[in-house]
Amino acid sequence: MVNEKKADRLYYLYRILAALLFVILFLPAANPARVCGLVNRSTSLLTSGFSYGTLIANFGRAFRKGWVLESTMHVLNISSLLCCLGIFGCAAGACLSLGNHRCRRLGNLISIIGSAVSVMTMIGMHIAYTQVAATKKPKKVEPSFPEGFWPVLAFLVLMLVISIIMQLLNGKKVKDEKFYMESKYKLFLMFLPFILLTFVFCYLPLWGWRYAFFDYKAGDILSARNFVGFKWFEELVRNKTTMDDMVRVMENTLAMSGLGIATSWCPMAFAIFLSEIKHTRFRRFVQTFTTIPNFISWVLVFAIAFCIFSTDGFLSSIMVNLGIWSQGQNLLMSGSHVWLKMLLWGMWKGLGWSAIIYIAGISGIDQQLYEAATVDGAGRFQRMWHVTVPGLMPTFYVLLLMSVAGILTNGMDQYLVFKNSSNTAQIMVLDLYVYNMGIVKGAIPLSTVVGMLKSVISVILLFGANGISKLLRGETIV
Amino acid sequence: MAKTAQEKLDEKAEKQYAKMHVKKIKMKPGDIVFSIINYTFFAIFTFICIFPFYYLFINTISDNDLVRKGLINFVPRGIHFDNYIRLLAVNDLFTSVFVTLARTIIGTALMVGASAFVGYLVTRKEMWGRSFWYRFLVVTMYFNAGIIPWYLNMSMLGLTNHFAAYIVPAIIAPYNIILVKTYIESAIPAELEESAELDGASHLRIFGSIVWPLSKPILATIAIFGAVGQWNSFQDSLILMQSAPKLYTLQHRLYIYLNTTSNLSALMSAGNTSGISKSVLESALNGKVIKYTISMVTIIPILLVYPFMQRYFEKGIMLGAVKG
Repeated sequence: MVNEKKADRLYYLYRILAALLFVILFLPAANPARVCGLVNRSTSLLTSGFSYGTLIANFGRAFRKGWVLESTMHVLNISSLLCCLGIFGCAAGACLSLGNHRCRRLGNLISIIGSAVSVMTMIGMHIAYTQVAATKKPKKVEPSFPEGFWPVLAFLVLMLVISIIMQLLNGKKVKDEKFYMESKYKLFLMFLPFILLTFVFCYLPLWGWRYAFFDYKAGDILSARNFVGFKWFEELVRNKTTMDDMVRVMENTLAMSGLGIATSWCPMAFAIFLSEIKHTRFRRFVQTFTTIPNFISWVLVFAIAFCIFSTDGFLSSIMVNLGIWSQGQNLLMSGSHVWLKMLLWGMWKGLGWSAIIYIAGISGIDQQLYEAATVDGAGRFQRMWHVTVPGLMPTFYVLLLMSVAGILTNGMDQYLVFKNSSNTAQIMVLDLYVYNMGIVKGAIPLSTVVGMLKSVISVILLFGANGISKLLRGETIV
Repeated sequence: MAKTAQEKLDEKAEKQYAKMHVKKIKMKPGDIVFSIINYTFFAIFTFICIFPFYYLFINTISDNDLVRKGLINFVPRGIHFDNYIRLLAVNDLFTSVFVTLARTIIGTALMVGASAFVGYLVTRKEMWGRSFWYRFLVVTMYFNAGIIPWYLNMSMLGLTNHFAAYIVPAIIAPYNIILVKTYIESAIPAELEESAELDGASHLRIFGSIVWPLSKPILATIAIFGAVGQWNSFQDSLILMQSAPKLYTLQHRLYIYLNTTSNLSALMSAGNTSGISKSVLESALNGKVIKYTISMVTIIPILLVYPFMQRYFEKGIMLGAVKG
């Protein structure tokens, strides 16, 4: 019993260690398999184990010239793979430690094997390093002892020791004991993979915000040397060109979001007037076909725009055939009324779809209200204004607040596909600007700064909108 | 399966409309004018919504010479399907179709499976730290790190220029999880699960034999929306597959094709044709038909699933209005 209590305390250390090792799998900085400069800096242990192609992406020349033997890299790859599997074993052991005595015995066994295998593979990595270090062309290959090697090895050895101790503390196998784990832990373990996925794809990117504080170019490493503090934040305000760009971009973003918000009553009006149509077939028909554009991508919307408005599209051929224009015109190339055009395309795509929620809302309004209003002598428009509109207002408020919260987020697809040389100045919204600056031009720190500010402001706006909603209507929207 | 409240309301409204129709309320002149304007407006708007698709389609099946002269505007003439056959020769296109189909099928299947399972798990009150983990998942709908950190993260994970980038991040869809959770809580009686548990069924068993079959309506809804989303996605291909043209999605490919054409026609509209040889111009014009055909190929799957989708989307959007 005393042993069990001690073991319980040790188990926390054990689980934390396993989690730490698991995280290390994803961290390129701690990759013990990065034996030389030719291995990409952003390669994690997991990648070097499971993707040989990524590991040797830059080795083509080194292999051909015989600077590095291909077998060395195979050793490295296989070692990393086994190391990953060993760490997976440790993680599995940690998961099993939530169960009863028998589960723990099995878990400990798995993690002993796993950590032992991983420790062994570290030797393989070391061999690979010594072979690479003995290269003929150290300048080209840049052998460097992986920074993560000793820490990872230390963790693994510690893991091995702890799991052996635990196995000893656990005592002998109890006869006829079955595997058992409390329901709450079982459910949690089933949930765990999804938590990890969420963490990796939704939370881990936040770690990328650190690029905002470094002088970074593709392929660099982040270190104290290129740490620049708030330089890029200041640059945003001080640098004349960037400042001008930002002002223009914000103008476009706010204008387009503002137009969207100013017309946010349109779907409601659409729904109200549509419900005035008593011919059920026709109403269904309209509802069906006005929704289709919502389901095609912006690229396809552009394809549609292209077939209607380009030089040899529908409009041009009609105009030319009627003799009004002497030559086809490409209306997509013009740089005038860009904001309005984008608004109209947005409406074409989204109006019918956005109306659906209001149509559903209208069918939820009590019919007696209409009857009562009719008895009181209300006309058609009065009924709309005094019965239908108030009935739809809650939905409208929520959607309005959401769109206010998303004022900086226009999405980039629409503007990217419609962008061309003559409308760039008016079409460049924040999302597109960040994409252009970061991905196309490679100014990663500056674009990270802009994106970061945008994210923070958006979250603040969302909470603000939520607070306002709580204050006014006593209901939250998120 | 009991009818949802929404369906009942729909029926009610339908009946009321029918009743009013039978009664033939006397129309005042003002009403007639209103009706005419109203019907006309919706007829025109609907026309604007569908005509481009029709126009695109008739141009791909009509005689190419007539299309080139811009004579096919409302009625198809000289119907043939050569253009579609000709697309088979475009190599890149075929790979793109394959990649897009693969991501749509695999990605959607994984997403639906995961959403159903996670949706079930978060309804189990006894789970360790349930409300915390549920929030941990749902909160991700309201913030994101931004496109650049996302890109750096993906490349750190080795997912750039890799097919897995299309499907793995798509597995977790918080919004769909909320939909499934809400559905399970409202439509599947808790007694069913409880009695199964008393009979000794495991969680997986309960999920497989009770929750999964009973939540099929909502799963169909999210499957269809998910599939359309996968088919339409363009941004991830554009940003992550920069050096793997073989993995470009159909939308990305179409974007590239459309842009080549628009540049050529832009040169022509300026009257600046002297620099370009006649054959280039001709191929650009013929290219127009090819581009239309590719657009059509990209649109057709959406139009095909649309009738099925329609049954579900009202349900989907209404459930979405219910907070998780």
